[in-house]
Amino acid sequence: MSSRTAGAGMHPGWRVLTYAILLVAALYYLLPLFVMLNTSLKSLAEIRSGNLLSLPQDPSLAAWSKAWGSACTGISCDGVKGYFWNSVKITVPAVLISTMVGAINGYVLSKWRFRGSNLFFGMLLVGTMLPFQVVLLPMARTLGELGLAGTVSGLIMVHVIYGIAFTTLFFRNFYIGVPDDLVRAARIDGAGFWRIFFRIMLPMSLPIIMVSLIWQMTQIWNDFLFGVVYSSGDAQPITVALNNLVNSTTGVKEYNVDMAAAIIAALPTLLVYVLAGSYFVRGMTAGAVKG
Amino acid sequence: MQALTINNVRKRYGDVEVLKGIDLDIAAGQFLILVGPSGCGKSTLLNMIAGLETVSDGTISIGDRDVTDLSPKDRDIAMVFQSYALYPNMTVRGNIAFGMEIRKVPKAEQDEIVTRVSTMLQIDHLLDRKPGQLSGGQRQRVAMGRALARDPSVFLFDEPLSNLDAKLRVEMRSEIKQLHQRTGTTVVYVTHDQIEAMTLGDAIAVMKDGEVQQFGTPQEIYDSPANLFVAGFMGSTPINFIPCTVHSQDGVPAVTLVSDHGEVTVRLPHYAALQSYEGQEIIIGLRPEQVTQVDSAGAPPGTITFSAPVTMLEPTGPDTLVSVALNGQRVIGRAHPDAVPPVGQSMTLQANFSRAVAFDPKTELLIQA
Repeated sequence: MSSRTAGAGMHPGWRVLTYAILLVAALYYLLPLFVMLNTSLKSLAEIRSGNLLSLPQDPSLAAWSKAWGSACTGISCDGVKGYFWNSVKITVPAVLISTMVGAINGYVLSKWRFRGSNLFFGMLLVGTMLPFQVVLLPMARTLGELGLAGTVSGLIMVHVIYGIAFTTLFFRNFYIGVPDDLVRAARIDGAGFWRIFFRIMLPMSLPIIMVSLIWQMTQIWNDFLFGVVYSSGDAQPITVALNNLVNSTTGVKEYNVDMAAAIIAALPTLLVYVLAGSYFVRGMTAGAVKG
Repeated sequence: MQALTINNVRKRYGDVEVLKGIDLDIAAGQFLILVGPSGCGKSTLLNMIAGLETVSDGTISIGDRDVTDLSPKDRDIAMVFQSYALYPNMTVRGNIAFGMEIRKVPKAEQDEIVTRVSTMLQIDHLLDRKPGQLSGGQRQRVAMGRALARDPSVFLFDEPLSNLDAKLRVEMRSEIKQLHQRTGTTVVYVTHDQIEAMTLGDAIAVMKDGEVQQFGTPQEIYDSPANLFVAGFMGSTPINFIPCTVHSQDGVPAVTLVSDHGEVTVRLPHYAALQSYEGQEIIIGLRPEQVTQVDSAGAPPGTITFSAPVTMLEPTGPDTLVSVALNGQRVIGRAHPDAVPPVGQSMTLQANFSRAVAFDPKTELLIQA
């Protein structure tokens, strides 16, 4: 990498222009978030009278507590909290299982090749290009046969199956860059399939594990289609509940509650990016530069 | 008892045969070198000895055990890889002890072995570091330490020095040799570097295209190479190949060398077998060190002198390599730097043909004297 810092030697005028463009772009992306946050802190009266960008005169968390605990989503009026926990119950196991299976798949496909393993990998890749809609009906039938229709476990299974194609791709491409000699050395040391995986491969996989966790977490938490199709009533994830809350209120439209609920629904993925974003970038570029 | 016996070993990938029946055996404590150009099958053979690749045909025995179908861990071997293959997430100590941990060696004994091995290799101050924090030479030592900790009956080395810079390579080479002299364990060592082969080996197997071209001691291979390939491959300054036609002079086979400054007839009295090649073309192989400046103190028997214009000079320090043309072929001699004229001028050289070897140009095989 060049030892020069970015922008060094650049004409000051260009630098001002660069920062100006970046600032405008940042504002453009931050504006919706600001409006949401701003609106969620206002009272309904103030929303109706003021404009979108004016700051709240009397900031209040009332809309947040209503969204969390007592807003009506369809028939029930218990807020989104139950659905939030549904999403947690779906996302955590689905992310962990699909990442684990992806790691094992990637390990086999890169280090324990078998006859037809390339074909197998190629077919798995097709899975990453499959649109959600294509699997809706066959999956509904499968879930019905298994007695998992409309349950949290059923949704977990759907997300795991759909996610394996992606996680396998991540781990396989990561492990392809790990020298085969490492596995050979471990075999000579007497290590078997699982010991090599757990003691040698997995401990060096942190960057790609983070990529897989973030990717899967974002996909599964934000999923709406599988959630709306395969779950009902109490088992629905927060994305579906948010839709119900926004669309099914009768009478006055409570924008502040809608905004608060939307932020609640988006918060976990935001948090994951803030906490693990640097790992994500590192994992995506791992292998590009020799570690 | 032989430490390692390889009996008619073959390796096929589909229809392609990459090892075409290898037979080798070495006594306990010997240092066997597998040398050859890339793609000759030497690493495949080593992997088969290690058990990392299956054997298509033939048998491999270590000691008196047939290990052909055993898994690597049951073969009582240890291996050092070209890439070192250190476990990146473990410390140096962890790397050395990993195999013992799997074999459930008691902790106290593990510590004792790690201490002994790391002291021997002078890496005892690095035990708590990760491989990423080590230099190339240190990684090499750790890889050797991991192999030593196993105390195997055969050590396998797969081009262990090729990732090091030139100076370190020479250093590690002599350390490997010392280590072998100290432990007395049998070694199989793969390299493409003929200097490593010559300096380290008790026995050398020169391989090409999946076949052993010659198997013998370094000196045998250097002095009487079995064919043109072996002759050309071994020797840091390449051997001179001079095409000649055999004729008979007073009942002794002789050849004529032609330079720009005339010709000289060389009698080859020690080479009776050449009688039957009378009138035919052969290729004389003559090592550069046999072609040198004229020694005023007198030359050994079988030496001829000739003059030729110098076409190129390559000073190496102790000697200067002198190129001249003989029979239309570039011939390299090794002369004292003070005895060398500038390029273009004529130089009188002596060549000791008593050490020359002759090859049949059709079969490319050595003509036995």
